[in-house]
Amino acid sequence: MPKMSSRLVDRPSFEMTMSDSRTVFELQDIRRTYQVGSEFVHAIDGLDLQIQDGEFIAVIGTSGSGKSTLMHTLGFMDSPTSGQMSFEGEDVSNIGRGVRARLRSTRIGFVFQSYNLLPKLSVLDNVLLPLIYGRQNSINKKELGYSVLKRVGMEHRASHRPSQLSGGERQRVAIARSLVNKPRLILADEPTGNLDTKNRGRIMDLFGSLLDEGITLALVTHDDVVAQYAQRRIRMQDGKIVEDDGR
Amino acid sequence: MNLIVDIFAGATNGLREVWSNKVRTLLSMSGIVLGVAALVAMVGIVQGMLGNMRASFERSGGVLRLEVYPREAPESQQHIAGISPGMTWRDIVAIEKAIPLADYVTPIVDMGWESFIANGRRERAMLHGVTPDLAGIKNRKLDYGRFIADSDIDAKSPVIVVGSYIAGDLFRNIENVVGQQLRVRGQVYTIIGQFEPTASRGFGRSRRGWNYEDRMNYIPATTAMSRYKGDDGVNRIEILASSVEAMPDLMSQINNTLTQTHRGIQDFEIRTQDEQMEELKKLENSFIYSLGGIAGISLIVGGIGIMNVMLASVSERIREIGVRKAIGARGHDIFIQFLAEAVVISVLGGLFGLVASVGLLTLAQDLIPQGENISNMPVTAMFYGFLFSSLIGLASGIYPAMRASRLDPIDALRYE
Repeated sequence: MPKMSSRLVDRPSFEMTMSDSRTVFELQDIRRTYQVGSEFVHAIDGLDLQIQDGEFIAVIGTSGSGKSTLMHTLGFMDSPTSGQMSFEGEDVSNIGRGVRARLRSTRIGFVFQSYNLLPKLSVLDNVLLPLIYGRQNSINKKELGYSVLKRVGMEHRASHRPSQLSGGERQRVAIARSLVNKPRLILADEPTGNLDTKNRGRIMDLFGSLLDEGITLALVTHDDVVAQYAQRRIRMQDGKIVEDDGR
Repeated sequence: MNLIVDIFAGATNGLREVWSNKVRTLLSMSGIVLGVAALVAMVGIVQGMLGNMRASFERSGGVLRLEVYPREAPESQQHIAGISPGMTWRDIVAIEKAIPLADYVTPIVDMGWESFIANGRRERAMLHGVTPDLAGIKNRKLDYGRFIADSDIDAKSPVIVVGSYIAGDLFRNIENVVGQQLRVRGQVYTIIGQFEPTASRGFGRSRRGWNYEDRMNYIPATTAMSRYKGDDGVNRIEILASSVEAMPDLMSQINNTLTQTHRGIQDFEIRTQDEQMEELKKLENSFIYSLGGIAGISLIVGGIGIMNVMLASVSERIREIGVRKAIGARGHDIFIQFLAEAVVISVLGGLFGLVASVGLLTLAQDLIPQGENISNMPVTAMFYGFLFSSLIGLASGIYPAMRASRLDPIDALRYE
């Protein structure tokens, strides 16, 4: 096991007891129900969860366990059907699409399994994309773009197209994109699912180093090795948390 | 402020998308290109055509011109119709003497189509016997020589003023045909004047005009009467009023005078140019509506083409839309992006269409001989064509853009 993760795991979990200002997310009895035909599917079925600043959480579970729905809820892509949810101390249980979009563009970074870089844009333009929607009047966007690319070791590829990069490189660019708006929380959905072992290690090390910058990280995986990097592991089943070793 | 930034970003995005799909963009804008080009070119050509007709109308005296035609005496006068001498030279003299409101009066002794012979060549053209006043009615310029004079009328001179058609065809290598001789029905005439062609453009600038007026040739009315008719009858009388206001008075004065010379028999009628004006206006309107309709339809078809391409583009980029939304794009960011793309396509199409229309009009100018007025580019039509095509693009982009903006980010990201 890499050094990084052991240091993370060693981190004391007394953060849970810290004041509210360190709480990123607080979820109480969250439910998300879809109607499929005449049937109701409870993707999340009464879930309680607290996420503290600087935590590294791995959400594990079989497909259909509700972990993706949880990620969508945390990422403000979706609103819960019922339950209380607060983000940075503010109630976000019933916010509209516009507010959700603003939170996505300013507070959340997304990393996907299939990278989801736009093929027609250069690496730098891909990284700068969130800034368009975040409406940041940043003094020098390019400089910011280069600095996050440097952070992931990809600045020498700034003018390339995503198709000219390897899978590991693409994921590093995607991580740079998720960093550019200085998010509070990065959500990663199977970020190493398409990568080989060597690249998997590199990407996980990169995630680990982000924690030192005060970023909170939650990732969905069913790779146990990846889950081992996390400081807290949450197992989901049938829309409920059945195991949470961070408590 | 934010909206301006949004629109600018959207347009930049749209341009990039358009640039990276050049062939698709070109195909999708072709409808707009053709629509705008057709609209502008057709309006240009029709304006030229109608301009020519107006010019021709003006050349023949315009609205001030009155014509007196013979007609059957009314039923109530049929039994005494024989006492009228009909339309004769005496009518001309009477009008000239009694009616100062008539600026110019000329009889038309209509010889119809005749064969003109000179240099061993023969051409058919029209021959009218007239008086010097005709020059005041027809707004025609002479390239060379002079028009018929009073002395020619008195002397029944064997002289002729020719149009550019006869001048150009019978005397092919002679620029100035004044002094040349030609024969009509065995009678020899000396050319004293030569009209300038009505069209100043065409295949180069040929002396051989294409308009009806270029085939008109004039001899003194008295010459026509004595040489061919054998009496002083005239086919009709043309009169130019001194002003539009004077026309009602002038018409009743003519009526009175001619009733006198025709011994009370109403075997003549006075015609104004109102009808012709009306016809011209009707023609103008029908052209504008039919061409506008056709061009409008082609622009709408072009718009449907754009909509089709935009819909395809949306379904092709569902994943991209999902990514953009996931990283914070709001519905209206996506809406503006796709709308801007449609507008960029249609604006580019409109511009290409304008360029194509200039080409078409230049071509038309070279191909259509009487196109003297086509040289004016129809700026108004260009403006509206461009505006309309941009609006069509905007309208056809709304539905696809709306579909794109309403996509759910989660579904869009899952889309394969």
